[in-house]
Amino acid sequence: MVKISQDFAPPFKLIAPFFLIGSLFYFFASVYLFSFDAANLSFVNPDMMAFVHLFLLGFVMMVIFGAMAQLVPVVLEVGHFGVELFYAIWPLLLTGTLLMVFGFLYFPALLPYGGVTVLISMLIFVGEIFLTIFKVKKLTLVMSSLLISNTFLFFGIIFGLLMALSYAGTVSLDIASLLKAHVYAVLGGYIAITVMGLSIVLVPMFTLSHSFSLKPLKISLIMMSMAVVSVVISSFFKIDILAYTGYALAAVSMIVYFYLIYIIYSTRPRKENDIYAVSLMFSYISMLVSIVIVVFYFLTQKEEFLLASMWLFFFGFFAFLITGHIYKIIPFLVWFEKFSPLVGKQKVPMLADMVPYKSSQAQFVFCAVGVVLITIAILTKGDALLHAGASFLFIGTLAFIRNVFYMINFKA
Amino acid sequence: MYTKDELFQAISTVIDPEVGFNLVEMGLIYDASCDEEGNAKVVMTLSTKACPMHQMILQWVKEAVEKLPNVKSADVEVVWEPQWNISMADENVKKALGAA
Repeated sequence: MVKISQDFAPPFKLIAPFFLIGSLFYFFASVYLFSFDAANLSFVNPDMMAFVHLFLLGFVMMVIFGAMAQLVPVVLEVGHFGVELFYAIWPLLLTGTLLMVFGFLYFPALLPYGGVTVLISMLIFVGEIFLTIFKVKKLTLVMSSLLISNTFLFFGIIFGLLMALSYAGTVSLDIASLLKAHVYAVLGGYIAITVMGLSIVLVPMFTLSHSFSLKPLKISLIMMSMAVVSVVISSFFKIDILAYTGYALAAVSMIVYFYLIYIIYSTRPRKENDIYAVSLMFSYISMLVSIVIVVFYFLTQKEEFLLASMWLFFFGFFAFLITGHIYKIIPFLVWFEKFSPLVGKQKVPMLADMVPYKSSQAQFVFCAVGVVLITIAILTKGDALLHAGASFLFIGTLAFIRNVFYMINFKA
Repeated sequence: MYTKDELFQAISTVIDPEVGFNLVEMGLIYDASCDEEGNAKVVMTLSTKACPMHQMILQWVKEAVEKLPNVKSADVEVVWEPQWNISMADENVKKALGAA
């Protein structure tokens, strides 16, 4: 038996729950869409809060945390400080997410409990990542991005907890200020910066791209960090100009980041448009359109533009970036566990063989059509279109769950 | 004891499961030699520093060389200079990937 260190590939049983639960929450979020009325969508509605947390905590954060269990050692080039801690993270995040969703929907008194449970899971995660980063002797730009993003996550969850306590009436704080700080610290500070840093490792790895400058990444990381700090400060001290500066910096940061991805993608030696490539294309186009739509929001102050922009950012950019990478990460982990010991002894499958072709294409098409329809539905307040889009997403996310199970249980 | 070509031939049994080509045709093997005592040395690179299969691939190369009957031990060294790029791959690889 070949002895391979587990440093760079944690046991699959540790990571599988994150992906399984995450894909189920992606499906639940698509089901939840049927309950919305396109004419009465609003950010301050508890139904919307429940939906956003169902999607962001249950799907986005759950999958990112699972992926980080594998990707952090790859990016940092050191083993985890304590990878076993991830066994505690997913049950706490799952419990906290459910408590928060039900808290928003039915029992606000559950919110502090949900918030604290999520806080504990995230503190374990952040603590583990920090202790792993401390093992690195020299930080590269990508490693620094992990340090920055996890610092923002730490503050983001503190703001979120204070908000949950205020929402439940335990303490009396300005919820609107905390909400803005919480949203920016988590979305811009953690998720966007994590995505920027990791994708600059992963996209070139899968497309075999080389010889591109990391200067745009440095610029976008600095701009996004400044944007988050500006908005957080402005939310507590009510300095409007600082807030608008932050919004503009964040938009430019994402455009600079897109420019780098475009350079990598357009010069890639590996031209095949597999499910990974098309998912990423849809993801980044969604991000650009989302930025364009949010500009209309600032020009008109109509909430539907902000809702449509956020919708595209969440279900277009985040979701397709995540699903695209899942089609790479799960096959690798399953292959590592099941087939790597058989190399040289018998014929083993290639990683691409482990992705169900037709079903993954169907998932992409149904989810993409669903996202586009719902974007139009939000902008036009068309209820029938919203439910039509939800129907497409329902089928697409169902196919995604099927694909995740297929890859996990793949047999040669 | 073994020529560079013979060692490259042995290493060409190692396939990268992500791209589906062997390491030699990918251009990842820079040099290989073997002394009279059967001590082999392979100098290679990887397509990316952050390759999650880093350790596995090194182990496969080592095992592939050590399968040769007169090789006693194989040492695999990974270098990052010169940095790998697609121009180092064989024409069939470039064509299959769409880079030709």
